[in-house]
Amino acid sequence: MTVGSRRFSAAGLLASGALVLIALIFFTPMIWMILSSFKSNSAIFGSPFALPESIDLSRWVHAWEVGNIGQYGLNSAIVTAASVLLILLLGSAAAFALSRYRFKGRGVLMAVLALGLLLPLQSYFIAQSHIFTRLELTDTRWALIIPYTAMGLPLAVYLLKVYMDGLPDELFDAARVDGAGDLRMFWTLAVPLLRPGLATVAVFSALASWNEFLLALLYIQDDDLKTIPTGLLAFSSRFHTDYGLLFSALSIVTLPMIVIYIVFNRQITEGITAGSLK
Amino acid sequence: MKPVRAATPYLFLLPALLVFGFAVLVPLLFTIGFSFTEWDGFGEMKWAGIDNYVRALGDRTFRDSFIHVIVYIGATIVLEVLVGLLLAGLLSARKRGSLWFRVAIFTPVMLPLVVVAVLWSFVYNPDFGLVNAALAGAGLEDFQRIWLGDSSTALLAISVVSGWVWAGFYMAIFYAAFSQISSEVVEAARLDGAGEWAIFRHVKVPMIRGALAVGLLLCVTGGFQGFDLFYVLTNGAPFGATEIPTTYLVKVVFRNADVGYGSAMAVVLTAVVVAVGLAFIRIQRRRAQAASA
Repeated sequence: MTVGSRRFSAAGLLASGALVLIALIFFTPMIWMILSSFKSNSAIFGSPFALPESIDLSRWVHAWEVGNIGQYGLNSAIVTAASVLLILLLGSAAAFALSRYRFKGRGVLMAVLALGLLLPLQSYFIAQSHIFTRLELTDTRWALIIPYTAMGLPLAVYLLKVYMDGLPDELFDAARVDGAGDLRMFWTLAVPLLRPGLATVAVFSALASWNEFLLALLYIQDDDLKTIPTGLLAFSSRFHTDYGLLFSALSIVTLPMIVIYIVFNRQITEGITAGSLK
Repeated sequence: MKPVRAATPYLFLLPALLVFGFAVLVPLLFTIGFSFTEWDGFGEMKWAGIDNYVRALGDRTFRDSFIHVIVYIGATIVLEVLVGLLLAGLLSARKRGSLWFRVAIFTPVMLPLVVVAVLWSFVYNPDFGLVNAALAGAGLEDFQRIWLGDSSTALLAISVVSGWVWAGFYMAIFYAAFSQISSEVVEAARLDGAGEWAIFRHVKVPMIRGALAVGLLLCVTGGFQGFDLFYVLTNGAPFGATEIPTTYLVKVVFRNADVGYGSAMAVVLTAVVVAVGLAFIRIQRRRAQAASA
């Protein structure tokens, strides 16, 4: 069927109309948030749907400064970058071993991996918080980097192993004949070939670390180490009646994510859905 | 393949195992251990046998927290999975949606849930919130509520936020599955005179049964683990109407310092999640066997 005949069909028109309407409904809270970020409290209370009198970006600058948002963003970036790098490095090494070698204990390790895929955070965070307190890890970035890495590893290893299983044996046999050792085979052969899989894993690991809340809430009390979720929550309880300011802070945190999605929407959709389809 | 040295595979696995063991496996075993004790986290730990589990059985708040989370899961199956399926169907009927459509539906998935929750606490605000303002604009003042402060609407109000966030996620999963259906099957149905809805309902949806099952599993197991939206929006209020297992056990452990009891509840919750996951895997396997037999 040609595109032309479809475009003018009644069902097609209905579907398009429905899509536009649904997109608007989904967008409304975000549009309202951005409009309100340029309003004073009295304007927010007076006429919630009205356009702001002016687009005054100094409100956003003010929110950025008093809200410590730069610091929270930096902390989130450090914790996320470290966790993702560790997940990629440790995950691909583990996947390499599980996929390429047959060795004693492999079955047990695969079972541990499967268990890791099922276990909820609730199964270990109580004792984890106790251990971290004892080791004085709380109120350090490690208190987040270590668990985020551990939580990301099972799915990362699982997916990377699926990718690795798809690589032809001949490649590795040929490298072996050429005298490549195990480490070189991993680093110069497997890792470059895994790049698409690594990108997918990086996307969902990054989003998970960027957004994690419960552990960040429990482990980080020091305001200078808080990540965006807990930082924003602290900010919103400190200024809980200055709605214009809070709308500005929310907008500052939201807009970069929209930009990132527009630029990387293919990779992001791929990354977020990968875990569920494999 | 054989490694050059026998130790190689273990060396490759060691770093990942150390991190996972330290941050997940050891704490998991400790949590199970704690659940058989009476302990405030600092003082002397007393052996309590299965007392904590017996207490959990008789704890009305704990039981209600499971009822609330199951109601929430039921609502989100409709608001996330079903809405996501319909969106994916609409999108696949149009071949490809515009970028703006996907931005609108998918951005919420990427936002921290805390950001979403703070935004929606404003959307539901009784004084200037979007919902009540929209109702007033439509002349429906009678339907205005203090959405999050009314025990008859709070749980549903949170479920709606959850739908706003995750419908796009399920849409993406189902859309990917729909686009793997061969167009010949759909064209054949169309030549037989089937309308778009009939094709969706009787051709496309049955063909993505696998993806639907995964979606349901993620919705149910994810639902049991819910925390962020509930904690920020209501944290159990009003009058415990939105208390779910995790908000309750966080209070028990970190406010009341009842580590033993909280751990027992965490173990119960874990058992439920793992049991649902294993049951799902078993059903899938049986279905795969039946299909190949």
